[in-house]
Parts: sequence; C-alpha cells; structure tokens
Amino acid sequence: MATHDNTEHVADATDEAVGWESKLRYFLNSDFVRSAPYWGIPFVLMSIAVYGGIGYNFAISFTDYEGLGTPDYSALDLEMYAQALSSDAFVSAAQNNLVLLVAFTTVCLILGLFLAILLDHGIRFSEKFQTVYLLPMSLSFVVTAQLWLWMFNVESGILNLVVTTLGFNPVDWLGNPSIALGAVIFALIWQFSGYTMVVYLAGLQSIPNDQFEAARVDGASITRTYLRIIVPQLKEASVSAAVVLMVFALKAFTFLYALVGRYRPPNGTDILATLMVRRAFKFGEWAYSAAIATMLLVMALGVIGPYLYYQYKQGSL
Amino acid sequence: MVEHDSSDGSVNRRKYLKALTVGAAAGLAGCTGGGGSETEATEGGSGSGGSGDDTETGGSSSGSTWDSQLEVLHGWAGGDGEAAVTALIEAFEEEHPEMDTNFQAVGASANVNLNATILRRLANNNPMSSFANWPGKNLERYSGALMDLEADVWDAEGFKDTMQARAVELCKFNDKMPAVPLGSHRMNNLFYNTAVFEEAGIDASSLDSVDALLDALEAIDQNTDVTPMAQAMVAPWTNLQLWAQILTSQSGVDAYTNFIEGNPDRAAVVEALEALKTINENYITADASSISFTTAGQKVISGNAATIHQGNWVYGMFRADDSFNYKEQWDWIPFPGTEGIYFYHVDSIVAPSNNPSREETIAWQKFVGTKKAQIAFNNPKGSVPLRTDIDPSELTDFLAMTYEDLTDSEAYPPTIAHGLAVTPKTMGACKTAFGDNFMGPFKVEATADALIEAVSE
Repeated sequence: MATHDNTEHVADATDEAVGWESKLRYFLNSDFVRSAPYWGIPFVLMSIAVYGGIGYNFAISFTDYEGLGTPDYSALDLEMYAQALSSDAFVSAAQNNLVLLVAFTTVCLILGLFLAILLDHGIRFSEKFQTVYLLPMSLSFVVTAQLWLWMFNVESGILNLVVTTLGFNPVDWLGNPSIALGAVIFALIWQFSGYTMVVYLAGLQSIPNDQFEAARVDGASITRTYLRIIVPQLKEASVSAAVVLMVFALKAFTFLYALVGRYRPPNGTDILATLMVRRAFKFGEWAYSAAIATMLLVMALGVIGPYLYYQYKQGSL
Repeated sequence: MVEHDSSDGSVNRRKYLKALTVGAAAGLAGCTGGGGSETEATEGGSGSGGSGDDTETGGSSSGSTWDSQLEVLHGWAGGDGEAAVTALIEAFEEEHPEMDTNFQAVGASANVNLNATILRRLANNNPMSSFANWPGKNLERYSGALMDLEADVWDAEGFKDTMQARAVELCKFNDKMPAVPLGSHRMNNLFYNTAVFEEAGIDASSLDSVDALLDALEAIDQNTDVTPMAQAMVAPWTNLQLWAQILTSQSGVDAYTNFIEGNPDRAAVVEALEALKTINENYITADASSISFTTAGQKVISGNAATIHQGNWVYGMFRADDSFNYKEQWDWIPFPGTEGIYFYHVDSIVAPSNNPSREETIAWQKFVGTKKAQIAFNNPKGSVPLRTDIDPSELTDFLAMTYEDLTDSEAYPPTIAHGLAVTPKTMGACKTAFGDNFMGPFKVEATADALIEAVSE
C-alpha cells in the first residue's frame, strides 16, 4: 500500500519534473527540431523569395502605386482590378491567353500522342526521330523566336515560299491581326509537341506487350486497341503534360518578347503577361500591373489546383 | 534490397541537404559580407567625394583623383550608335584617364530595355551615375528622382550661352536642369536612292507637298520594278512619326502644335491618316509588318526600295556602307512640304538624384557638353551637335548641311514619337492608337478617335 502510494507519488513528481527541463530536452531532441536547420533555412528562403514576393505583389495591387516613389498603404481598394476588368486591352489579352491556352495545349497533346504512337511501333531510326522531334524543346525561346521571325517574313520567309509555290497569295503571318495569334501558336506547338511526345512515349513503353498481344488475339483492330486499351492508361501522362503546357501558355511572354524585341507583341497576340510587363516597365503603373499579375496567378492556380487535388486523391501527395 | 536502396538514398539525401545547408549558409554570409562592403564603399565614396571636390576647386583636372565608379547606362548597343558611343567614351577616357568608369549598353531596340532597367533601378532606389534618354516631357517618367545640374554643370561651364536655346529649354524640368544635350536628329527627312529616282524620271526638288510625293510614288510603282517606299512597321512609332510629317506638311506647323498641345483638329488628323493609308496600302514593301527600320534602310541601300522616311539616324547607317554615298547613290530632301522646318529631336544624358558618384557624374556631364564630345559622338551617329559654336567643317558634308538647318530654320516643332512633345503616357497612347488600328487593316476613323483621345486627356 505504502509502496503503491509511493510509486504514485513518484509518478506525480516526475510529471511535475518533466514540467520544463525534460520537456525541453525531449523537444530539442525530437526529429522535428534536430532536422530544422536542414529544412528550416530553405523554407525561410523560399518563403521570403516566393511567397513574400507574391504577398508584396498582392499588397501593391490594392494601392495606387505609380511611377517613382513609395506605395501608400493608407487607402486600399479594388480600384485597379475594376479598372483592369473594364479595359478593352485587358479583356482582349485575357481572351488571347485563353485561346492560346486551349489551342496550344490540345494540339500539342494530340500531335505528341500521334508521334509517340508512331515511334512506339519501333520504326527504323526511331531514336534519331525522337531526337529530331525533341530538339526544338532544347532551344531557347530567343533562338526559336528569331528563327520563326525569319520564316514568317512575307517576302523572303520559307512559309510564304511554300504558299506561293502552291499558287496562293503570300500571307502576312505576323502583320494580319486575325492570323498572328494562330502563327504564334503554330510556332509554340512546333517547339513543345516534342515534349509531349517524350512524355507519352515513356507512358507507352511502360505498358507491357502482353496487352497488345491479348488485344490482337481477341481480334481488336489497331485503332480499337489504342482507343480502348492503351490511351486510357495514358491518363497520368496526359494530365502532367497538359499542366506543364498550360503553364507555358500562360507565360509565353518570352517568346513574344523575343519575336519583336519589345513589350508590344504583334497586333492580336497581346497576352496578360505582355500587357502586365508593358504597363509596369514602360509606364511605371506598378499597382495596375500587380493587379494583372494577381489575376494571372489566379489563372495559373486554376490550372494547377485541380491537378494537385487530383494527385492528392490518387494518393501521390 | 529495397531497404538497402532506401538507406543508401537517405545517406545521399542527408549529404545533399548538408551540402545545401552549408552552401546556403555560405551564400547568406556572402550576401551580408557583400552588403557590408558595399556600405563601406558608398561611405568611403561620399566621404572622399569631399576630397574630390577639393581637387576640383584646386583647378587641375589632370591631377584629380576619383573615388567612385562612374556608371552610365545607354541604349547604343549596335551599328552606328555603338560606334558613336565608343568614340564618345574614348574621348572621355582621354580626358579623365584615372576615373573608374562603367559604360553599359542595355539592349538595342528603341530603348525598351534601357528604359525598363532605368525605371526599375530608380524605383528600387539603386540609381546609376547617368543614363541616356530624351529630355523634354519624356523626363516625366523619372519625376522626383532627377539631379539638378544647373549650378554645377550648366552655369559652371556656361552651357546656357553655348547651347541652342531650344535645347536649354528642353533640359529644364520642374525648375531643375537634370540633363545635358548630346545631339539632335532631324525628323523631317526623305532619303532616296538616286538611281531609282532617275529611272522613274522624278525630279526630287519638285516634291513640295504630300500630293507631289504620292504622285512620285505612283510613278515609281508604274515605271520601275522597285517598291516605292520602305516602311518598318514591326513597331507603331514609325507610322506615328510619318503621320506627324504628313500632318505638318498638309496643314502646317500650327496644326501639329495644336495637336500636341491638346487642341487637335479632327479634319486635319483624318486627312493625314488618309494619305498615310494610301502610302501603306499601295507603296510600301509587303514585309513591312515584320521588319525594323534598319532592315527597311537596307532595302534602300540595296535598291529594293526607292525612298524612306526616318529620322536621320539612317544616315549613320548609310554612312557605314562605303559603296553608298551621299549625293551619289543616295540623296536627301526635307520631307515634302516641310521645307524650312527642322523637326526637332534631342538625345541627352540625364543624371538621377541620390547620385552614387556626385563628383564623377558632374565631370562626365560637363564633358558631354563640350565641343570635343559633341563632335566625337555626332559624326558617327548621324546627328548634329546642339552647341551653337561648332565649326561645320568638323562635321561630314551631310551633317554640316543639317547643322546649318538646325541653327537657321523657321520652325522647330518637337518630335512626338521621341519623347519631346508629349508626356510618356500620351506618347504611349498615340503609339497604341496606331498599334491597335493602323498596322493593316488601316482604320482611319478609329485611329483618329484614339489619337484625339490620347492628346485630349
């Protein structure tokens, strides 16, 4: 009885003693704290560089900050957002962005899949073809933009050489506002379809041969085999390729800037990124540009968000 | 197997993270160290800036020592501009061999990168010593961040007496004088290939109005295989400046002045746009929309186009080609209908306030206004000095002629497409008016509305 009492007492005592000394020691010895120098520093750096930047951008977008000087945080409102949404330039840039996003991503995926299936059939020199298709992806936008600028030239460009040889009138690819966006999308597809091809090819090559054989034994045609058996298994590859392509479409700024060497891209190809940079660095309208940047971020999150949720549901996150 | 793999992996990961942390720590230390030394440098700079001042008042320019680096940003990264700025820098280094200088060319195309870099650095409170930019209303862009050079440079060197009065006015901004003019380009030019004009049977001296110009372009189109005019439309400013010439030619300098002052006459604006539409639809090269003015100028040199309207920076380009000479292969007339007018453009060097190298900047700005600097720079650039006491024989023939016009014309309207006439915002709106509505198809009414809105705001 006495011992029992005693032990209880001891237990109570340890509980009290754990109070701060041992608790602190336990805490300091925990994995969380001991590993902190390793993940903590990068975390802090990341937070400042990325999330701090986003936060600052967000804050500026509510002010009227313009020109040189300092932003005034005393009167915060949504005026810049309202101004952007009611401006024709913003609306048409957003439309162009959307068209670019959808057309570019869709065509890239379809073309990439087609090329991947061809290469997966073990055609002769397939490795070399693979390199040929992937090469544009490895080139910088600055290089490809200059290349396409030459090819789009009305008088001496190779595209018009083809068009006129076929007996049509020369086309003003970049000068005609109703064609220009199509021309830009075409150039971007040329550059990125190789990437989707590689992603799909990796997916295709991980599918065992048995499935093709089984399908053949069951008498399925090649089209049917691909449509019903193979392509559905490429869902993962499609989703990840699509996300990368869409994010590229949102920031096609580099290509457009390299194409003309200025912040104003050819008529009819203005996208949110070019509009934002132009308003900020040509006119110093920091608050207005920050508002556009925030909306661009929301659009990018709109693309990435569902993907992350999908990954989370799949258990990959 | 799997276990082994993962433990191996974790060791690697640990090593990697350790390396990363060490790297990050070193980086941080480096940053703080760098910051420290930078503060020291500026402190030392401002401290000994005083001693630099002493030497200066001592009167000997050769014996002076400099403590801070002179950092100058400019946009002349290629062609005639590069040659001109190199000549200017060489002349400056001859004068001040001991000064630590850093001349940076930022981008090439129409100062886009240069202006963005300047704006960014001034907004981040990280000013350079000086930068190249247009004076006049263009300085609005840097409002509140400009140094006053009036006492230290303008009065000290007596530039107010030796520079053109118009240039002195343009260098004043909000009661300060933050800029020193470097040279002037003339805007109302028509350059032409003499062989083509001869073939088409055109007497250039008879071109005295826009209608005469249109007739001549038609004659070239009919009588030769050459495209009548080279026009660069990759950016809208070329259309804007050509339109300004046509407006002035058709309706007079007053119509143009009223326009830039915010009292536009719609009928005159539309009439000029109609003429420009006629030119752009019928007489320019098919690839205009994708070429820059340098490519357009090359077309005149190669004989693929008969004429070009541009500021006389294309002279800098023509001059670089030994087989294409003034009065032989090419010639010049003032833009038809603008005889006696010198359409005014000025390049200048501007100093920001909170200057990192006050004494060095002052010495450099003083140098920019000297005869030596203005002759060294302007000859290769194709522009003319703004000092009134230059001996024209120091300039090339073409520039000597332009220089005489600069000092002796009836009117000097400031250029709209190059920052002098209107604020950067209005200039941007005018360019957008052309960019949105006049790059083919050419919508006269919509462009006129946008232009009038731009200046009336």
